[in-house]
Amino acid sequence: MKKIIYILVGLLVASSFTACEPEFSNPVGDNSYTSGDADFSNYVAVGNSLTAGYTNGTLYKSAQENSFPAILAEQLKLAGGGEFTQPFLDDDTNNVGGMVLGTTPILPTKLVIDASQGGPERISQIPTIDVTNIHPGPYNNMGVPGAKIYHLGFQGYGNIANLPTGTANPYFVRMASAPNKSIVEDAVAANPTFFTLWIGNNDVLWYATSGGTGVDQNVAGNTNPTTYGPDDITHVNVFGFAYQQIVDALTANGAKGVLATIPDVASVPYFTTIPYNPIPLTDQATVDALNTAYAQYNAGIQAALQNNLITQAEADARTISFDLGANALVIEDEYLTDLSGLSLPSIRQATADDLVVLTAKSIIGVPDPSNPQLIHGITIPLEDEWILSKNEISEVRAATAGYNQIINDIATNKHLAVADMAALMEQMKNGLVIEDGSFYTADYFNGTNLDNLLFGLDGVHPTPRGYAVIANKFIDVIERTYGAKLAKVIPANYPTFDILPTN
Amino acid sequence: MKKILIVFVFISFGSMYAGGYRVALQGQRMLGMAHAGLSVFNNAETAFFNPAGIAFLDNKFNFSFGVSGIMSHVKFQNERYNWAYETDNPIGTPFYLYAAYQVDKNVSLGLAVYTPFGSSTVWNNWTGSDIVNEISMKVFFIQPSLTYKFSDMLSMSASLIMVYGGVSYNKNINRYLTGDNGEKTNAQLDSGITGAAGYDFSLAFRPSDKISFGLNYRSSVTLDAKYGKAEFNNVPAILSNKLKTTAFSAKLPMPAELGIGFSVKPTDKLLLALDYNYTYWSIYEELRIEFKNGLPPSVANKSYKNTSTIRFGAEYQLNDKMFVRAGYYYDQSPLTEGHFSPETPSLDSNNYTFGFGYQMKKWAVDISLLYVDGQERTDYTFVKGEGPSAHKFGGTYVSNAIIPGIGFSYSIN
Repeated sequence: MKKIIYILVGLLVASSFTACEPEFSNPVGDNSYTSGDADFSNYVAVGNSLTAGYTNGTLYKSAQENSFPAILAEQLKLAGGGEFTQPFLDDDTNNVGGMVLGTTPILPTKLVIDASQGGPERISQIPTIDVTNIHPGPYNNMGVPGAKIYHLGFQGYGNIANLPTGTANPYFVRMASAPNKSIVEDAVAANPTFFTLWIGNNDVLWYATSGGTGVDQNVAGNTNPTTYGPDDITHVNVFGFAYQQIVDALTANGAKGVLATIPDVASVPYFTTIPYNPIPLTDQATVDALNTAYAQYNAGIQAALQNNLITQAEADARTISFDLGANALVIEDEYLTDLSGLSLPSIRQATADDLVVLTAKSIIGVPDPSNPQLIHGITIPLEDEWILSKNEISEVRAATAGYNQIINDIATNKHLAVADMAALMEQMKNGLVIEDGSFYTADYFNGTNLDNLLFGLDGVHPTPRGYAVIANKFIDVIERTYGAKLAKVIPANYPTFDILPTN
Repeated sequence: MKKILIVFVFISFGSMYAGGYRVALQGQRMLGMAHAGLSVFNNAETAFFNPAGIAFLDNKFNFSFGVSGIMSHVKFQNERYNWAYETDNPIGTPFYLYAAYQVDKNVSLGLAVYTPFGSSTVWNNWTGSDIVNEISMKVFFIQPSLTYKFSDMLSMSASLIMVYGGVSYNKNINRYLTGDNGEKTNAQLDSGITGAAGYDFSLAFRPSDKISFGLNYRSSVTLDAKYGKAEFNNVPAILSNKLKTTAFSAKLPMPAELGIGFSVKPTDKLLLALDYNYTYWSIYEELRIEFKNGLPPSVANKSYKNTSTIRFGAEYQLNDKMFVRAGYYYDQSPLTEGHFSPETPSLDSNNYTFGFGYQMKKWAVDISLLYVDGQERTDYTFVKGEGPSAHKFGGTYVSNAIIPGIGFSYSIN
């Protein structure tokens, strides 16, 4: 019996020795990832809201934690990346974003879906982020929501004294290293060994989201940005000059980096969610009544044509008619020939070449309070601010193409990588299948596929899930250009927006 | 004896180890020689391996019982996403109790209670939690058999198999859904204990004292859980009406197995055995969970394939009391490409066994050690649950297991 016990003990001892864990022939570990020709030890991200992590209509704490640079920096740590600091946001204690000056709200809270109402709305809480709560940088994330190209070099953009005149940015006020330091100065002071630069979006976007109410400074030939309004398109030469300066400054110490291109305006759901023809008509009586209402205008257009005041094409475009089925919106268009002398307004029906802004949802089909017979978008033409017309789109696209040409040229000269965000955002809007087979769609706000969207509730900014897709794109580009080997992230692990039972 | 019985109180079941969720640990004497017991008729373990062999036992009354301790590890990695995780499986303790009784010259009876299926896989805080956090399967087989000896060389048996068991399974709803507390929303499914029945036929042929053949066919058994209970944890307020505790039904098949074995004694002291097992795993096509409250069914495509296992075992008698044993077998994974799921991450494996036996007058003690060396495999599965399309989940898996065991036998005439 003793022998048995000896052998038993022997076997147990033997098994505890051999109870080692299984090993891979190539275990994933520190040696799996490399930085290639790049040095990730101090990564600095320069840009606007897309770099800051802004989503769902504001910047809030958990969104900042999932900004694309924060996601990217975490992956760069596998290949020599260091700590990545972001502007102070610990005062966003309720995680709703927005901003106050004392007790005065100056920026609204985040958009959420209120399940009892169905649509996006601002969460009804008071922001706790105060613009006077200044925590001077520089930070690794130098993304400033709202920044245009010419703001990056502007000393005073972070000076709280300039807030009343609108020349300072409340986000940069809170993070500037000193009141009169510029964003670029702070980015350079952060000493980047590696950087991403994604700037220029707002230089066309604000014009577009305003429905083209601003000035295209390319047409105006104005290269003095101090005279620009917020909704203007920045002159391409202004963009080129500033962009070169920024890149020169960031690369002065030999840093490598990625320049991101500007997406097409029509690649965000803000412009592609509401169709040009959202008016369904189902009874002939209404159709007849509407056609009768516009008969006088149509007759006037024909008269203008007879008198050679307008072309046949314009006359056709301006002739308004309704039918059973889906009907196009009636819109104002300042690019039409001015026929006010004939008492004819500059109106026409929208076509598939026009884009309706997302916020027009709140007015289309709404009766005029003073006369319920008059309906916005049908018998009251939609004003310029709700529509990005065909001509306005051309202006935006021309400027965007000009900016992207500059970005690509400078990247080539400086041997920097280019991330084609124009292509990626187009895919993100249309729907794409990512590496692991997850499918993301563009059916914005149809209510059934909220998990499969990459854009947030403001229709312009990606959600953290969308920013994860963007971070993966940067990883692709960094691997390809610099021979680095990095790990990717799974977008589905990142959040989107809040759905609340009530708000 | 009392100590052994206490062990049985702490029964948890076998971890991932053999092909699929089959746990081939049904006799320590045979396990020492690669679990190649189809044609080895020397103690009550034959009541499981080949009940027809009861007719060839030397004694009228034979009893065996034993238990194993499964210590298994599975590792998973994927370089593309910097994933590296491993299981935290509890120690599994499958057991068996066998009795064999020769009633007269021709007729014998057998009774076997054993746990041939079981799987307990635990992945803590890992990236595949939308597939599995924890799964555990517990199944008992109770097999009474009747053996008839046609001649000194040939016997056959027929058995009824009664099966009792169930599954508990926890997974996250998908990769991102969290409760209002920020914790991931998960589903806990408990099938409850369900019964089912099957049968077994076997044949033993011993043309001489030196040579034996055995044949065994064990039918498939499908546990049909009709009254399972699904509970949901960390449900966000917005989904509290949908994700409510509900009943569910699911079927879990256990495959049929055909075995053919041959053994020879080249000398009086040496016994060599060779077994071939064919397991009809293709019965496991999908795992379909139907919820009673209107939630859409959860369907996971399994597409298992039939597998073969070849076993070589040897026993050498050192003296009139002591035996040493060794064996090797190669086990195939039933998982097919593109359906490799971490619930039962079964790998092709090389298996090495060692055993020692000590024979007293009526009692015998057998101890065994099995080392399972799972072969690294890179594969994937598709996961549904997030909108219109399934996503791919995969990486490289490797595993091993150390399984010591002890068994006792008692025989009298």
